[in-house]
Amino acid sequence: MANGWWLVVGLAAATAFAQESPFQFNGFVDTYHAVQTQWPHDLTSSRTRLRTEMRVDYEDAYLFASLNAVHNSILDDRTGVQLQEAYLNYSNNFLEVRAGRQIVVWGVADGLRVTDLISPVDYTEFMSSDYDDLRMAVDGFRVKYPGERVNAEIVYVPAPRYFQMPIQAENPWRPDMPENAILDFPEGPDTRFKNGDFGTRLSFFLSNFDFSVSALHTHNQSPVTVAGYDFEKDSIVIRGVHETMTMIGGDISMPLGEFVIRAEVAEYFGEALGYKSNLDYARKNTFNALGGIDWYAGDNWTFMVQYLHKYIADYTDELAAEKNSSEMTFRISKEVLNNTLKLSLYGMLDIDNLAYYARAAGDYAVTDQVTLSAGYDHFGGKRGQLANYDKNCEVWAKAKYYF
Amino acid sequence: MDLKMFKKGAILVVAMASLVAAEGLSGRDVIQKVKDRPDGDTRSSELSMTLINKAGAKRERKITSFAMDVGKDTKQIMFFRYPNDVKGTGFLTVDYDDISKDDDKWLYLPAMKKTRRISGKSSKTDYFMGSDFTYDDVGQRNIDEDTHTLLREEKVDGVDCWVIESVPKKNDEIFSKKVSWIRKDCLIAAKVEYYDKLGKLHRFLKVEKVTQVDGFWAIAKMSMENVQTNHKTILEFGDLKFNIPLDAKTFTVPRLERGL
Repeated sequence: MANGWWLVVGLAAATAFAQESPFQFNGFVDTYHAVQTQWPHDLTSSRTRLRTEMRVDYEDAYLFASLNAVHNSILDDRTGVQLQEAYLNYSNNFLEVRAGRQIVVWGVADGLRVTDLISPVDYTEFMSSDYDDLRMAVDGFRVKYPGERVNAEIVYVPAPRYFQMPIQAENPWRPDMPENAILDFPEGPDTRFKNGDFGTRLSFFLSNFDFSVSALHTHNQSPVTVAGYDFEKDSIVIRGVHETMTMIGGDISMPLGEFVIRAEVAEYFGEALGYKSNLDYARKNTFNALGGIDWYAGDNWTFMVQYLHKYIADYTDELAAEKNSSEMTFRISKEVLNNTLKLSLYGMLDIDNLAYYARAAGDYAVTDQVTLSAGYDHFGGKRGQLANYDKNCEVWAKAKYYF
Repeated sequence: MDLKMFKKGAILVVAMASLVAAEGLSGRDVIQKVKDRPDGDTRSSELSMTLINKAGAKRERKITSFAMDVGKDTKQIMFFRYPNDVKGTGFLTVDYDDISKDDDKWLYLPAMKKTRRISGKSSKTDYFMGSDFTYDDVGQRNIDEDTHTLLREEKVDGVDCWVIESVPKKNDEIFSKKVSWIRKDCLIAAKVEYYDKLGKLHRFLKVEKVTQVDGFWAIAKMSMENVQTNHKTILEFGDLKFNIPLDAKTFTVPRLERGL
């Protein structure tokens, strides 16, 4: 399948160059390093990256490709050249078609996923990457009708991808697992028509509010872990299980004076959920709802808070998750010095486990091309993954040069 | 309306405006004239902003802008072209003439691959992309948000001007008053002084160049200086076009996401 995409991309590029179409080339170099604030003060992330982005326009179509060339001094398997996106886009007044590797974002939530289930998330280094790097592109087709007040789209992803998890032995973000266990986490299902993700979304942009309704046949992209024993290898095997599920949902975004109210709801039919024993899993219908408020307080202050709730129908006590579970996020930001310095505080609260993650950051635009950033990440709480990361409280620094 | 007829009409209106005697003319009347100055039903321009701090360091912003009048309301879409960290960002606004109705605003962030609905009320007082212009300065401020008083008439650089004092009716603005020198010949401000809440001069706008394109008067270059921080922004409008063929689909969220 991937070879097929390259053929499409290559032919389109060749055609475009032959017609001497406008060519844009830009990108950035960034370097990010983080170190634990407590003993043994190990590096938790250390990587340098060259991102190149290319766009070639030809009449109503353009070709876009972005590549990452990465050196990761902790995770060997992350060093190399990675194709971020590569797609061909055609649009006219009535139709927009995009084919290739692309990031698809649905919904109005900030960082949390309710209806936004097409492009998975790369959690290899937890949340230390920029948001557009956390989101993984998928190989698929998207067809849109771009109306004046309504936007309709259909998406088909023949080869879905799953979350990337921090499972490498040397990864500081790897969760606690039995020693010498064999890990079997697939990157996606076999490429067959029936394994593809497909969905549709209808969005309305009105004077007083925006809203969308969406439906998607997909998979649980975050793996459900099931442990077993491989007698041949005499080892525990931990498998990541992904089952198909159907999502029907919607979102709304409504300005009210200085505030914007956001909400998303979705029913997942047949979502895979793990047992406490880690020996099996069940498929249940779940209801997921998010509410958020943005406050544009003026003087370059922005406040955001979100609450996410999940309810599992037909609940049984064997399930690892609670019948009702919830989490919150918040973000406060202030820009000063003519918007050259942005100070922000982001927090995530796992309410059921009484655990949290907080990031304080400062981003300073030294010039139009150079941005320096630094910050501190804190993990804590009683239980759960965020609490288990408390050894990874870290300070970090980043430099980014745009060209 | 036929374009030639419109141009003749526009020239006539501008000429008549310069003949209007000040007697009986209120501050609001002058500001209404400024708002009603013919600028076509649609327009586009290439904006170039140069931000200069007190140490003399410069930063640049480049934007392509399209606008269309729909009745008394105005739709505007802007695409950021430079610097590269904001390249592809799009900003769509619907400015309502009705003072009781907040503007509609959408912001497309290419890094997030997402369009956000943002507040149409509060961002008006924020500075636009680190410049010394607020969103209000670059948008369409409703006339009746301020009380306008005609102070006097005087010349600026040899051009006859009305001097208008405008005081916001609400307390949540960043200025306590502004004083504008409105050129009688083209109904464009020659300069504007913005005073802070303490009544001290805060920002100073100077229109350095006006131009006439297809019979329409327009600002070609202006500067805004924050006299309290010595930060300055020079705003230049290039490739000005009026009454270009634009339809309602230019001013939509899908168009915002598609980019230039």
